Amino acid sequence: MNRKAITVGAAAAALALALTACGSDSGKSTTSGSTGSTGSGGSTATIASKLILGGPPEFKTRTDGVPGLQKNYGVVFSGYKVLDTGGPVTVTALKNGQVDAADLFTTDPSIAANGFVILQDPKNNFAAQNVLPLISKAKATDGVTKVLNGISAKLDTAGLGAILTKVQNDKQDPDAVAKQWLKDQGLDAAGTDAAGVTLTVGSANFPESVVLAQIYAEALKDHGATVSTKLNIGAREVYVPGLKDGSIDLIPEYNGSILQYLDKNATATSSDDVYAALQKALPPNLVVLDQSKAQDSDAIVVTKATADKYGLTSIADLAKTQ
Amino acid sequence: MIGDVLTWLNDPAHWRDTRVDKGIPTQLQTHITFTLIALAIALALALPLGLFIGHTGRLTFLVTAANALRALPTVGVLVLLTVIISPHFHGRTDLGFVIPTEIVLVFLAVPPILSNTYAGVQNVSAAARDAAAGMGMTGTQVLRKVELPCSLPLIFSGFRSATLQVIATATVASYVTLGGLGAFIYDGLQQQDFPQMIGGGVLVALLALLADLLLATIQRYAVSRGISGRFSTKSVIPADAATAQVRTAEASTV
Repeated sequence: MNRKAITVGAAAAALALALTACGSDSGKSTTSGSTGSTGSGGSTATIASKLILGGPPEFKTRTDGVPGLQKNYGVVFSGYKVLDTGGPVTVTALKNGQVDAADLFTTDPSIAANGFVILQDPKNNFAAQNVLPLISKAKATDGVTKVLNGISAKLDTAGLGAILTKVQNDKQDPDAVAKQWLKDQGLDAAGTDAAGVTLTVGSANFPESVVLAQIYAEALKDHGATVSTKLNIGAREVYVPGLKDGSIDLIPEYNGSILQYLDKNATATSSDDVYAALQKALPPNLVVLDQSKAQDSDAIVVTKATADKYGLTSIADLAKTQ
Repeated sequence: MIGDVLTWLNDPAHWRDTRVDKGIPTQLQTHITFTLIALAIALALALPLGLFIGHTGRLTFLVTAANALRALPTVGVLVLLTVIISPHFHGRTDLGFVIPTEIVLVFLAVPPILSNTYAGVQNVSAAARDAAAGMGMTGTQVLRKVELPCSLPLIFSGFRSATLQVIATATVASYVTLGGLGAFIYDGLQQQDFPQMIGGGVLVALLALLADLLLATIQRYAVSRGISGRFSTKSVIPADAATAQVRTAEASTV
């Protein structure tokens, strides 16, 4: 009897919960109805409206993701399939036609291996993203510049990928990984290039930035500088003011992202253009040194068959009607 | 935080499908579909096998083997099977991902059903079994009319634990491009949208509770009262209790 009462009570509670959720749903639906239906406006059939896009979950909400493609190119896909972040699931899904277009990283070796076509991005939805040191002008002595440019000269995308694998997958200490990389590149020789300079190296709050900051810090220490670190500071909105007021002196940056931050209307696309534009956009007390070849950016990729069928070479082609 | 989760659950935009996102009803439906398919396959495999093993006492090593399946890491097997199976499916079909997911879920659901069925049948009182045989029942009749009803409570408990495990684990489907309630957990983690993530978890827990409640209700009416001992205290007095009462009454009159 008692047990029966408990069972009935639990059922009633569960039902009530379900009903509450449904009830307030219909009550609110009028207020946010407009947000739900954005993007279904274009009624003429574009190429994209026949295709399904695949990529990581956050690509749905990122500014250069689904919203950026719509804003910059007017491209609205018929659907979005959540895959992994440029990994094997994405590659397989694109190869076998579960999706028609996918978000992959430009340096992914599987693009060439499968004959995928990277769609050009003329409107700079995805900016070039070369790694470079952003440093306060006062600290950028010839010696410091020489040390940091030496690092940039050796750093490429594959190398950066290997470093990140160690930090993120193998959970190795970023500082140890940084020292090991410098050693492998023959950059760990002690020197006096940066002797007498005191500086603070900062990093943004993600592993790649942390390990790059450690590489800069360790190399400068090897060359006689007095280095302290402030790692995992946060987003650009936090550390760029820190660079301006001198609480940090050096941070690893990505040329496209920092340019976009400094100049919202920047139109530069290629690495060199971005670099040139960045020199002009920087505040007077900051300077960027040589950029490395290491680049970490997204691209919309389709199969060769899809590209041929619709005549696609650029993301803009997806917005054409057929 | 709890407020954020409630807000997320109550936001009508999350109950509606868009081009980019599927809403809660659709994902719930997908989740239930995956669960039902896995449970149906597992039941079709494990129940007859368990009855056979329990009845005949042969092939008992299969129960041990099935229990060893529990040690398999679900996500690892899922990714492995996806890598092996999905390249064979071309076009818009999701089968290349559905099949690995269902295999993994069946792996999870078979051991509890199989071992509980086997244990239930095996533990039926030998006296009951002998009596049934003595009454002239064939082997199949003993199994169907005595052993199966007697072991039903254990079979149900195995099926219920399988159901809970499958509902909870079906969230991994989102890991290989499929939907289901796990999509909110997976997307929420990647988008740093923690109310969405917790909301997905809450929905999974609610579904599991509701499913168990449903099965408990079915069990209540499916299992014979002679087994469960669930007698109404008002109307029918069980034999033992009745005699005891008579004896007490006799004793008090003396």
